[in-house]
Amino acid sequence: MGPALPIPTPTPAPQGAGTRLRTRAAIELRDLRKRYGEQEVLRGVTLTVERGEKIVLCGPSGSGKSTLIRCINGLERHDGGTIAVNGVTLEADGRGVQDVRREVGMVFQHFNLFPHMTVLENCTFAPRQALGLSAAAAAERAMHHLARVRIADQAGKFPAQLSGGQQQRVAIARALCMDPRIMLFDEPTSALDPEMVAEVLQVMEELAAQGMTMLCVTHEMGFARHVADRCVFLDGGEIVEQAGAERFFVAPESDRLKRFLRQMLH
Amino acid sequence: MTFDFALAWTSLPALLNGAWMTVLITVSVMAVGAVLGFGMCLVRMSRNRALAAIGAAYVAVFRGAPSIVLLYLVYAGLPQLSIVRDTPLWLLFASPLFCAILGLGLNHSAYVVEILRGGLSAVPAGPVEAALALGLPPRIVFVKVRLPMAVRYGLKAYQNEVLIFLKSTVAVGAVTIADLTGAANEIFAMTYDPFTPLVTAGAMYWLLTNGLRLGFEALDRRLNRHLAATVPDRRPATVRRSRPGLSLFRQPLVRRLPAKPAARETH
Repeated sequence: MGPALPIPTPTPAPQGAGTRLRTRAAIELRDLRKRYGEQEVLRGVTLTVERGEKIVLCGPSGSGKSTLIRCINGLERHDGGTIAVNGVTLEADGRGVQDVRREVGMVFQHFNLFPHMTVLENCTFAPRQALGLSAAAAAERAMHHLARVRIADQAGKFPAQLSGGQQQRVAIARALCMDPRIMLFDEPTSALDPEMVAEVLQVMEELAAQGMTMLCVTHEMGFARHVADRCVFLDGGEIVEQAGAERFFVAPESDRLKRFLRQMLH
Repeated sequence: MTFDFALAWTSLPALLNGAWMTVLITVSVMAVGAVLGFGMCLVRMSRNRALAAIGAAYVAVFRGAPSIVLLYLVYAGLPQLSIVRDTPLWLLFASPLFCAILGLGLNHSAYVVEILRGGLSAVPAGPVEAALALGLPPRIVFVKVRLPMAVRYGLKAYQNEVLIFLKSTVAVGAVTIADLTGAANEIFAMTYDPFTPLVTAGAMYWLLTNGLRLGFEALDRRLNRHLAATVPDRRPATVRRSRPGLSLFRQPLVRRLPAKPAARETH
């Protein structure tokens, strides 16, 4: 099954496009809107993620954080506004979704590994099926990324045999196997036992240090301070405040963020 | 009423013949049921309302009708139609075996539709979304992720259905086919001994169903080896069984968000 529509050309060539190309953002959201029935979950979110930038997204339960990043790779259809990922536009009707997904890897709160496949198969599955890699090439790539997340020795096991932290690291390796330029994390440590949070965060910090563009829904303040170029506070479906990590946590401006941080620290 | 071992021995070839017919019909109906059931399940689950209604009607009719009624309708009813009687289709419908396999297959496939549908709807959204997020085309996600998981969910129900319909194949006697029960009945008619041939036939049914059961169990072990390989559960059996069927796939513990992630940072 080929792509449903012509692949948007990554190198448009009208005059003056060159400058635009160099500054083109990794993710560009303009006035993004999403509603479930009557309920408006995203009320016009505008956010630009530059290449190589690490952004931490936080906010109270139901503020639309998950919906926001799920819209970016088309797991949710947006109702209004525009989404562009590395210059590829994702239309509200789903056009462009396959091209966007090639650019973006995603890590979920509940890992979502394929339970009937081994760790290695989890990682080789997409490269073989979507990129057409041979079994050997896919396995080599998978082992490289599994080693990167320090779990290569478990390659023959099934997900159910691993701890939560190990599963989440496999999930990160699985996403990396598609060579994404951007990684989305949807509360990657929220389903983990406390002693396993660190191993996952460390892998994410290494990934950040290697220059990956990251958009992260998380409440790990330590991670935000070490890694985030910018923290974005989402409440009621809109961005209320954004700032560098230090100012974000120490000197929040809006009352809503102050209240949220107070609740988090309790 | 005593069991006549000599009669059982001499009637063995006839009974085995009948048993072979029962096996042949069972296997053929399973094949028909798999193909029709899969196809009609897709129709039943279609987003197109009209198609879904057709699928629902298919299930309602063929699951609702007794298999013996379906057999009569296929064998005696359909040939009343000119399109069956006066065309090459007649070559098929003149065969009682074909009619038996079709009639039972329609009934069985309606159950397969519902078993598969149940399995498909039980597949959690997570792995499917993960596969989509990796950029895999939806068709591959269905074939390689959703369907294999659904088959594992539905296997037990499918095994039940196959064992039940294996025994309901006795209905093929209605369209003149001599299956295992038919053969036993014939021996009864010739010898006036109902006990020996029917008990022998019963034993053969028992062997067939339990052979199938062992086959299904082996298949289950093979498909679910990713679970069998987990740390053995050493709790008492009563505790282990207290949540039957819950953990076909391991569900991660759900802990809702704040969970004091900040505590570590702020001492």
